[in-house]
Amino acid sequence: MERFSSFEDFSTFRKLVRKKPGSDVPCLVICAGTGGQASGANDLIRIIKRHIIEEDLHDRISLRITGCLGFCEMDPFILVEPDNSFYPKLRMEDVPVVIDAAVDGRVVEDLLFVDPSGEGVLHSQDEMPFFKNQTRTILGKNQHLDPIRIVDYLQVGGYAGLEKILANPDPAWIIDEVSGAGLRGRGGAGFPTGRKWQLARAAGREGEQKYVVCNADEGDPGAYMDRSLLEGNPHAVIEGLIIAGAAIGATKGFVYVRSEYPLAIKHLVIALQQAREIGLLGEDILGSGISFDIDIIRGAGAFVCGEETALIQSIEGRMGEPRQRPPYPVQKGIWGHPTCINNVETLSNVPVIISQGAEAYRGIGVEGNHGTKIFSLVGKIRNTGLVEVPLGTTIESVVFDIGGGSPGKAELKAVQTGGPSGGCIPSSKFDLPIDYDSLARAGSIMGSGGMIVMDENTCMVDVAKYFMSFLKDESCGKCFTCRKGTQRMYELLEDITEGRGTPEHLDLLEELAHVVKDTTMCGLGQSAPNPVLSTLRYFRHEYEAHIHDKRCDAFVCKELVGAPCQSACPLGTEAWRYVAHIQRGEYEEAYRVIREPNPFPSVCARVCNHPCEDRCRAGTSGGQPVSIRALKRFVTDRVDPSTFQPARGSKISGNVPRVAVVGAGPAGLTAAHNLSLQGYAVTIFESDDRPGGMLVSGIPEYRLPRDVLEREIDALIDENVTLKCGSALGKDITLQGLFDDGFKAVFLAFGSHESRMLGVEGEDADGVHRSIDFLKAHNLRGEAMARGRVAVIGGGNSALDAARVAVRQPDVEEVTILYRRTRNEMPAFEEEIEAALEEGVKLETLVSPVGVRSGDGKLTGVECIGNTLGKRDSSGRRRPVPVEGSERVHDVDTLIVAIGEMPGSECVAKSGVVLGRSSTLEADPDTLLTAHPGVFAGGDVVTGSNTVVDAIAAGKRAAMSIDRYLRGRPLEVPAQPRLPRVLVEPVESDDDAQVTERAEPPTMPLRYRRSSFDEVEKALSVKAAACEAGRCLRCDLEFTRPASEPEEREAGGKSA
Amino acid sequence: MIELTINGLNVSVEEGTTVLEAAGVLGFPIPTLCHMEGLSPYGACRLCIVEIGEPPHSRLVSSCTYPAEAGLKVRTTSHRVARARRMVVELLLASCPQSKVIQDIASELGVRTQRFRQEHEDCILCGLCVRMCEEQMMAKAIGFRGRGQNRSIGTPFDSKSDTCRLCGGCQYVCPACQLRCTYNEPEKAICGGCANLPPPCLEKDEFDDMMCFMDPCVACEITDR
Repeated sequence: MERFSSFEDFSTFRKLVRKKPGSDVPCLVICAGTGGQASGANDLIRIIKRHIIEEDLHDRISLRITGCLGFCEMDPFILVEPDNSFYPKLRMEDVPVVIDAAVDGRVVEDLLFVDPSGEGVLHSQDEMPFFKNQTRTILGKNQHLDPIRIVDYLQVGGYAGLEKILANPDPAWIIDEVSGAGLRGRGGAGFPTGRKWQLARAAGREGEQKYVVCNADEGDPGAYMDRSLLEGNPHAVIEGLIIAGAAIGATKGFVYVRSEYPLAIKHLVIALQQAREIGLLGEDILGSGISFDIDIIRGAGAFVCGEETALIQSIEGRMGEPRQRPPYPVQKGIWGHPTCINNVETLSNVPVIISQGAEAYRGIGVEGNHGTKIFSLVGKIRNTGLVEVPLGTTIESVVFDIGGGSPGKAELKAVQTGGPSGGCIPSSKFDLPIDYDSLARAGSIMGSGGMIVMDENTCMVDVAKYFMSFLKDESCGKCFTCRKGTQRMYELLEDITEGRGTPEHLDLLEELAHVVKDTTMCGLGQSAPNPVLSTLRYFRHEYEAHIHDKRCDAFVCKELVGAPCQSACPLGTEAWRYVAHIQRGEYEEAYRVIREPNPFPSVCARVCNHPCEDRCRAGTSGGQPVSIRALKRFVTDRVDPSTFQPARGSKISGNVPRVAVVGAGPAGLTAAHNLSLQGYAVTIFESDDRPGGMLVSGIPEYRLPRDVLEREIDALIDENVTLKCGSALGKDITLQGLFDDGFKAVFLAFGSHESRMLGVEGEDADGVHRSIDFLKAHNLRGEAMARGRVAVIGGGNSALDAARVAVRQPDVEEVTILYRRTRNEMPAFEEEIEAALEEGVKLETLVSPVGVRSGDGKLTGVECIGNTLGKRDSSGRRRPVPVEGSERVHDVDTLIVAIGEMPGSECVAKSGVVLGRSSTLEADPDTLLTAHPGVFAGGDVVTGSNTVVDAIAAGKRAAMSIDRYLRGRPLEVPAQPRLPRVLVEPVESDDDAQVTERAEPPTMPLRYRRSSFDEVEKALSVKAAACEAGRCLRCDLEFTRPASEPEEREAGGKSA
Repeated sequence: MIELTINGLNVSVEEGTTVLEAAGVLGFPIPTLCHMEGLSPYGACRLCIVEIGEPPHSRLVSSCTYPAEAGLKVRTTSHRVARARRMVVELLLASCPQSKVIQDIASELGVRTQRFRQEHEDCILCGLCVRMCEEQMMAKAIGFRGRGQNRSIGTPFDSKSDTCRLCGGCQYVCPACQLRCTYNEPEKAICGGCANLPPPCLEKDEFDDMMCFMDPCVACEITDR
């Protein structure tokens, strides 16, 4: 382009370009920022160019290669203007199809963006929640310009601000505009930009050299908005710098950008050259009297050089080390001259303010925090990308409305804002508006705008450790407390995550964090403890779990987790070990490993909720978890239980203490069995007429055949155990009575057997049943209570069991489950829901019952109101909100209420045992001791309805505590991480036999299932079991493999 | 002249005076490790922190680098300062327990133990030697390398410096005092002056002139080689 000879020339040209109508052929827009290129945008561009040339489409379509458009999750994508059709994650072979469709003015429905929340195919980018909910003042321009074409920038209204100030080069006016707009520094600290310019203008002697610097030393892990601005729209930064220079009287500008941003540097160099060529940079710009030029300084990538005093040292050619402020850079900066340092995003906002006017800019955002801010939304989030929203927008709206929430099933736990200097904000505070002051109050900072989303698979101690590891390397090392403080904090966190933590570690960590915050010189050190302090503030319980319980609930900290399947199991079953034995064909050995910690192997092989599979690394690392439960079933079905003979403790000399166990469910039976092994005489009191508790009364036989259950229970009742059925606590026996009878300790495990009722009118009508009564009638007495049209209210396992039993009963026409939230929130096991639907159960979600209709005392219908999902409640699930006027009556003949159970614990009222919420018993979570000496409680009676495996674990814990209690030992046992100890040699795998699909156990054909109570799930075949066992990743080997292979262990440790 | 208040007492000092110097005028002792008259202030050791401003908006700054400002309110031994200073000393002890200087400061502040993993480092990176070499000896033979936990002091590429005049100034100012000589690698030695002496045990006076405070003395080991 020609150099403009005068201001008028420039102004005329700008208006001409601005008015020029856009071309009327469709335009393909390709996001080719660094993120786009990494995802294959360059290949896309090559294919498009070739296709255009081969098909000779030059006149019918145009191509625009732009910087980052923000939606990095969907890269590589094509956006087709003018309709803004959005084709995400394109495969290269689909590109010609899209081009041809665009040429003909069509869209390719199959390739368009599909809304994950069920809105279907979205035809325009403007309809997509990711874009629709943003205010893209700064970032939005990227779509419309090719960063290496200055004309594009002029076309979208660029350099209008510069034109204004060249026409009116009055610094006071510029500063007033910027101050009036309320712009605050986007680098993180939020210092008012206008005020900084004012100070820089006033500083120094008359005529002294001054500098403006654009700080593009973006170093936060996970933040890349500055890079994307420089890559996508470098002229906006240049324009901002010239305006800043004119405002403070500087003639020289620097862009300090890290060398790791080659594309940003390239685009900036081209843009600077273009601006110089047409005369927008240099001496006496277009005759305005303003002289200004810009140099690029490439930083070597030290994080600390983002700190302004260190940045100045680096520009001067010295080591990037901060120095004491005051004097501030606006007073004494580069080579002692006044220097004004602004962030890339701040400078990008300046042309907007000048061209639109301060008033218009002020209208966006909230009081004290005006304008928009770009965040890089990364981590455990569905829509990764750059997000621009007005300041004051809530975190919730950014994370859920724009970000789309969690990508998987895991609940989001926190967001980390502000990079290593920032803090973590827990999900309970997601209603917090994002502005400088609110974030600071919450213990974090705005920072440059990194926003890392974390879910429950993120360990907050590990997060703090990661940031400390970053900072101990990136601290400049000048301040002793920053250099050593970050290193020491890292060491303390390392101790905690590796199981060496003590309560003193936590105190010292906190003390040190406060001192480091207090005593260091620059912003890096002062904010370095933020990751520790904010996680301590909101996630202290996680630190405590690591220290006291030696547990990492996110399954991240390797030295505490060991093999995830083992540590996820409440019983500590060495799942990796029996899976390994199965692969080797050693089934008896496998059975012994299964039986050793668990007296109910066959039961758990059928009805366990398998936390081991949920945590299996084969599943959490992107594939499918090993079918551990099906493998257990495979072993328990084929090995004779007598293979395992439990070890008995030494005989107790003298009088054998007697222990009473109330309740013959899994918890009670396990406790009795384990106490019997220790030599105690145990009496079990059961109120029903047979043992088994919920296993027999709650779980139908198609899931757990009665003979299997009975065999397993019978094996536990040995000569030390006396079973007394039909004796209920409170009726036939009392707590005091047991002690009077000579029992030395009592274990209360009578479960949670009372169904809650709805609390609506008319629910006493004939035909309304509580789920427990309904299931007991069927399971214990073989009575069928359901008939006609059946509705089940609830979404838990009890509701599913009731529905699946009802659907099998002879007089039933149809069964519908009514649940108040959506299927995603249903607490029942997914496989149960799946099976119920297969068997013909209908599921109606987002409905709550509000009344029961009856005629002549007989049920005729249930009135329901529709719900929508509102705000999240304390459980993290979205609360159902009734929709006015959506009431509807379902005609039903049987209504089963399954909205939860609670223990019937009036029987122990006033006995000294304390009752908690929902009439559960209060007991110490570790020792199970209640407030009554000698009385222990565990299982559902303490936790409310819970899983079988948790009940068995409670029984084991109770037996251990009672043993210690009777021997007069302290009840507390220090926690130890459960790590794999035994080496089972892996089988050399045969490459041909690689199977990646998870083996699902075969099930009974559907056509028999509705009429039969026979067991639905069958065992795996020998071949399938061996294959499935072969899919195990053998996490245990890292701990059990002999040290003779040090390289491998080292490599494994590094990558974790 | 600038008026400021230190621990409630008014003092007026010349412009450009640091808070540390102003406190010195009033005779308030402030412990330091990286400060030395005649060398430019550096602010690395963080021992000389003082509290400025009024709570709750007060903050801690290093007095050796903070310029005296009109109306500044300084407290040199507030609870917050004392707590922070004790932690700094604890960190120093954890890294450099053998330094006599650090031991003395610790004992003065009542710090008897430290709770971190014990290290035995020779250097706290106070930078006195670097400034001595650059500002007083005009040699710039040594400088800082690396950052964060990899930061260290030495000659470029660890080779023998051409500009080093073996003055020993770096050793003279070192509070941890085990670093400059590197006796068992004489080719890298910055000082190594003792190697040119006859066995020091015989000529004790001459050895003292080296101003080398290394204990145990290593001269014999060098001269033996």
